[in-house]
Amino acid sequence: MEWKIIHVPGRESNPDQNATVSVVASNVEPRAANNLIRRLSVMVPLENLHHVKRIRRSTSYGKVELSVILCLSVDEEDPLKGIPNDVLELINEYQLHPFISRVPKIAASSREEWVQQCVHWPTSYHPPANLDEINVFNEEDSKAILGFMTLAIELTKSSHLDNQVFNAAIIVNPSAKVIVASACDQTDSWPAKSVCAEKTNSNDTLTVSNGFHISDYKQNGEKSYVNVACLNPWSWSQHKPHTCSSPVEHLTTHRWHPLKHAALVAIGLAAARDRILFLVPDQPKDQSVESGFSSITSSVKRQKTEVSKDQGDVDSETCIVSHVKCLPSVSEDTSRPYLCTGLDVYLTWEPCTMCAMALVHQRIRRVFYAFPNPDAGALGSIHRLHGEKSMNHHYTVFRVSVPEDIF
Amino acid sequence: MGSMKEDDFQFSMTFMGLALEQAKFALDNLEVPVGCVIVEDGKVIGFGSNRTNETRNATRHAEMESIDKLLEQWQASGLSQSEVAEKFSKCDLYVTCEPCIMCATALSILGIRAVYYGCANDKFGGCGSVLSLHQSEIKDVYRGFKCTGGIMSSESVTLFRNFYEQGNPNAPKPHRPVKTTQ
Repeated sequence: MEWKIIHVPGRESNPDQNATVSVVASNVEPRAANNLIRRLSVMVPLENLHHVKRIRRSTSYGKVELSVILCLSVDEEDPLKGIPNDVLELINEYQLHPFISRVPKIAASSREEWVQQCVHWPTSYHPPANLDEINVFNEEDSKAILGFMTLAIELTKSSHLDNQVFNAAIIVNPSAKVIVASACDQTDSWPAKSVCAEKTNSNDTLTVSNGFHISDYKQNGEKSYVNVACLNPWSWSQHKPHTCSSPVEHLTTHRWHPLKHAALVAIGLAAARDRILFLVPDQPKDQSVESGFSSITSSVKRQKTEVSKDQGDVDSETCIVSHVKCLPSVSEDTSRPYLCTGLDVYLTWEPCTMCAMALVHQRIRRVFYAFPNPDAGALGSIHRLHGEKSMNHHYTVFRVSVPEDIF
Repeated sequence: MGSMKEDDFQFSMTFMGLALEQAKFALDNLEVPVGCVIVEDGKVIGFGSNRTNETRNATRHAEMESIDKLLEQWQASGLSQSEVAEKFSKCDLYVTCEPCIMCATALSILGIRAVYYGCANDKFGGCGSVLSLHQSEIKDVYRGFKCTGGIMSSESVTLFRNFYEQGNPNAPKPHRPVKTTQ
């Protein structure tokens, strides 16, 4: 299978797409049309058929013909049956000859569907607002997307231990092509594997600054996906404490946490970075804070000691330090972004509802994932969270299909 | 039996009152006012309030805050994964607003016994408003949790109203001009 970027729509293409409902319509005189429609839309508004236009213009034998929908039909055979009295009066007043017609039941979700619908009866079509985002990826964009997806998968591979595989999440600034945060699942008590990978535009260097290296990844042996947090969110309690002879563990063991799925950890790191790079004005400042990189590291340390005093969350703070050290550019833009506005996330597996909603909360712009999550996936498999209209933010979702033998 | 129900009701009011205190604490700290308490055997063993503005992490909801504190505590006292799961299965959560889709999933992952909430969350509620994650049954793996809403909801709503009147300092600049009340 080739590499391919596939848009995952926010709602399933409706199986009812070709369904129609029958209405009572009539040809009308052009000069009466305006008045008639105005009265009809007050008398019998077409509830649930807002996409259907009330009037149809067609040409038969070179003559323009106007037809108007009077009301929904009750009886397929008899147009006059069950018609409201005031509509009957209109029919008499304008001397109409009602007939049964069929109109599309639901609004078109794509331009193609719309063209097809209009054969029956004209409808209106409102393309989704982000349509320009989903259709075109120029060569450069595609290359960057595939590059970051590869990085996420490499991170998954490098996180492996005893052939256990974890999900990975990378938050990316697409305009600067820079990694903002990256993380693996931390649901189990494995050695800390919060990896910081730095990638240059040339797409060919990949450094992973932790105890593991990609080449350590064993190519043989059965991989187990049991520990991919989003695939099996409920199985954490059955996990046994890991006993590992690896020397790495003694240095950096982090505790298990059933909710530390890769996406949540990455969001936490991005937020920590945000706090460090964009200090709030009223916060007490280091004297050296404005002067660049070293001071930022020192403010990290300061923050680290503060936090560990409060919460003792040493693990994630350790990660922050390693992250900040390899930030490609520090605070070029001093205006503080709102959460992860404008940033993309790359995940090896489709996120569960917890992670998908967390990414909505943090205002991620686009989500890319490589493998679907058939039992718990929230962006196409079980739910389509990005299509829920009630929410205050919507990201666009893509599946990047990758060669199956990538593992 | 009737008196049992009355007791339950009194219980709920007491615990929701404590959750509301947490929400007020959040409000005083310019945070979205949501608070919660976690109850085991009729005793409050955990609490938390929203910290999304302070942390700039929009996932730091009251539920997540209280869960993290408990997890840390339990692990520090040496409990294993299965023992912690056992603990959660005996815990109830009282929260001033319906858990969002993220928190509802989190609570189901932990296997909490029951959730009592104040006002509904029309935008992203995960316990009936948008999705019904408390009812999600996953084969033999998971059976959902009991969920009751509408407990002292007007108090929760009042706190929200106070918050939005004072203005969310962290909200992004609106695309359209916002009506200002004189």
